[in-house]
Amino acid sequence: MNGTTTVSLVGVGGQGILLAAAVLAETASAEGLDVKASEVKGMSQRGGSVLSTVRFGEHVWSPVARHADVVIAIELLEGHRALGLLAHQGTLVCAVTTRIVPGSVLRREDEYPDDLPAAAAARGVKLIAVDAEALAREAGTLRAVNVALLGAASVVLPFAAASWQRGLAAALPSKILEVNERAFALGRDAVSSEEVGP
Amino acid sequence: MERTLFFSGNQAIAHGAVRAGAAFACGYPGTPSTEILETAARLEGIHAQWCVNEKVALETAVGASLAGRRTIVTMKHVGLNVAADPFMTLSLTGINGGLVIVSADDPGMHSSQNEQDNRAYAKFAKVPMLEPSDSQEAYDFVAEAFALSEEFDTPVLLRSTTRLSHGRGQVIRRVPVVLEPRDYARDISKYVMVPQNARLRNRLVLERLQKLRARAEESPLNILEAGTADVGIIASGVAYTYAREAFPKAWFLKLGMSHPLPYRKVARLFQQVSRVAVVEELDPFIEEQVRALGLPVVGKEAIPADGELDQDIVFRALEPFLSRRPPRRRRPVFPPAPCLADPPQPAAGLPVRPPVLCPGCSHRAVFAAVRRHKLAPMGDIGCYTLGALPPLLALDSCLCMGASIGMMAGFNKALGRKGAAAVIGDSTFFHSGITPLVDAYYNEADGLVIVLDNRTTAMTGHQGHPGTGLRADRSQGPAVDIQKLCEGIGVRCNTVDANDYSVLDAAIKTESDAPGLGVVIALAPCVLMVREKAGEIVVDDERCNLCGLCLDVGCPALARGEDSVAFSDVCTGCGLCIEVCRRGALSYAGACGADSEGEGAR
Ligand code: SF4
Ligand code: SF4
Repeated sequence: MNGTTTVSLVGVGGQGILLAAAVLAETASAEGLDVKASEVKGMSQRGGSVLSTVRFGEHVWSPVARHADVVIAIELLEGHRALGLLAHQGTLVCAVTTRIVPGSVLRREDEYPDDLPAAAAARGVKLIAVDAEALAREAGTLRAVNVALLGAASVVLPFAAASWQRGLAAALPSKILEVNERAFALGRDAVSSEEVGP
Repeated sequence: MERTLFFSGNQAIAHGAVRAGAAFACGYPGTPSTEILETAARLEGIHAQWCVNEKVALETAVGASLAGRRTIVTMKHVGLNVAADPFMTLSLTGINGGLVIVSADDPGMHSSQNEQDNRAYAKFAKVPMLEPSDSQEAYDFVAEAFALSEEFDTPVLLRSTTRLSHGRGQVIRRVPVVLEPRDYARDISKYVMVPQNARLRNRLVLERLQKLRARAEESPLNILEAGTADVGIIASGVAYTYAREAFPKAWFLKLGMSHPLPYRKVARLFQQVSRVAVVEELDPFIEEQVRALGLPVVGKEAIPADGELDQDIVFRALEPFLSRRPPRRRRPVFPPAPCLADPPQPAAGLPVRPPVLCPGCSHRAVFAAVRRHKLAPMGDIGCYTLGALPPLLALDSCLCMGASIGMMAGFNKALGRKGAAAVIGDSTFFHSGITPLVDAYYNEADGLVIVLDNRTTAMTGHQGHPGTGLRADRSQGPAVDIQKLCEGIGVRCNTVDANDYSVLDAAIKTESDAPGLGVVIALAPCVLMVREKAGEIVVDDERCNLCGLCLDVGCPALARGEDSVAFSDVCTGCGLCIEVCRRGALSYAGACGADSEGEGAR
């Protein structure tokens, strides 16, 4: 919408959504763009669905948006849920091996959805499926799933590598910067080779 | 024929409450409201008590209302500021037994620090406001207020002012209202105001306001009184009596129910006369709404916006305006009913993911124990409010910070036995749990208060509080000892390890059955601050029959597997599931491996 790009980050409270959003916002800033971000903190952080929105462009007015151009989903069920947020031809970058099973499914009152590729295709959404857990583990900590996924998403976002560098450095505490830089790079490499065309 | 009584407005309200079948009255003294409760305390058929402050009084009243009794709570205008926290959310939960809140305002500040006009609170909370103008109306309107409260499932504000409260007039007694106390029925979606429930209740409140406005149009409390002059006056409360005396020939719209305003009745007055004034003390509460209809009125440009009125002030103020050439007749424009946002719609076919207590959270054990004992658990605000959600369903209410204890006390007092417990976190206890505990002790309320002491303000991100001594800059200050504090008040108090389920359960059972008031402090630091695993849990597939008892404690680490339950690596090893399993299917790895071997037959 008039030069503003919306990226939504979804996942489960405790997964580091807010931190990933902060990296993204700092990166867009480093590109010299106007940025607005919004999220709802509080109760949902206790294991509930969490949504954070980052918007950037020449001049961003509203801090929220009903539809996103890109959704970064750090959990599979939340990726399914986020399909509703995506505009047609939007992109979903999803950590497809990360499953945090909600209580009703644990008790078998509900079923965990399967076949995200089909659901995404049905909505005309481009899916970038990432095994972010494996990448994070390879980088050195499972906690870096969020940043590994961000690395994967960086392929579809219009920012220079140097800006990402600055974004990571600005948003992350120095003691976890290095491991996250590794996770980010692994995420970026995992995608660029295969999934995204020219 | 029965003798006519001569009552102050305050006496009339108290007698009117008893006549209306109110069984419970409470409040905090404050001029000009005080004599309402003092009178009630001398009357048969109603329990009356002073509470420690207006917030606790209202929460106690809510407890009595939940117990099914018609309840009246009294305070002066500024007292409602103190009670504003429960008041605003009470509008959402609604009531069980009728609940009337008397706000005695003090125009002129005879005995007050300000002269706020509490009609604003009716609008703010979207509840009805009744304004009697003399002692007879004060007596009669209480019954009307209770009836409205129960019909519309809302608290009702009844506003007095100094001249009504302390003025006296004749009262004819009416036939007493006879009613059965309503039963208490737990209703988590109505009484536990976590966001997902509150959003739905809030929509009902907005719809209720429209229905109340329709009622105000028909209500005999709002009367259009014919006059002979080409002048109309809209007035409520004692201001009506001043205007009536000053302008005996005028038409009147007398508003006994001043909120929500009956727009069409107002318009009807404008059809009868060409000049209309609004006579009200303090704020242009009615006037602004009439102007918003596009109807020209004389109001605060003539009638003082501060202090008390009387008939001379009203006469002198309005005489020049009302003899002027009438303004051009205009058609009213009625505001349309507001639309509502689209209701929240969960993504079709996908399981919802409500927030949950963390794996290993010590609150879970308290809820597992509370559920086993018969008391209705009044809840409070913190992570533990999540205990009201499935599968735990272990809290009956959540109104506002610190409400649990007052609600418990009012519930049990009204019931005449120990029917409710209170569950409150440590930080919430310091926020506003101490005053109601003092109150419960002073009023000799029965009850069991469980303080969930996890040594932090967990929900908002682990801030310190006076119980830990940890300050905002992370420096360590002196800490207040909750057990000593309770004992200092005079309340029996026991601290137990919340991680030791059998001890915790026994303490809760003992206190549930014991007479009087007791506190159990369930102590265990928030599991997010502990971080090391207490042990590995293993399942004996032979013994587990998937009865689901352990799954019912709602731990995210525990799942229903194919043949037995299964654990994920988020398990902290707290051991609660071991305790609730009746078949001995769960144990710490290595602890009783021998037990499960070869001795399968039981
Ligand atoms: S021991 Fe049981 S109740 Fe405690 S965290 Fe592990 S699975 Fe949950
Ligand atoms: S309570 Fe015991 S028997 Fe029942 S499902 Fe849980 S582990 Fe199995």
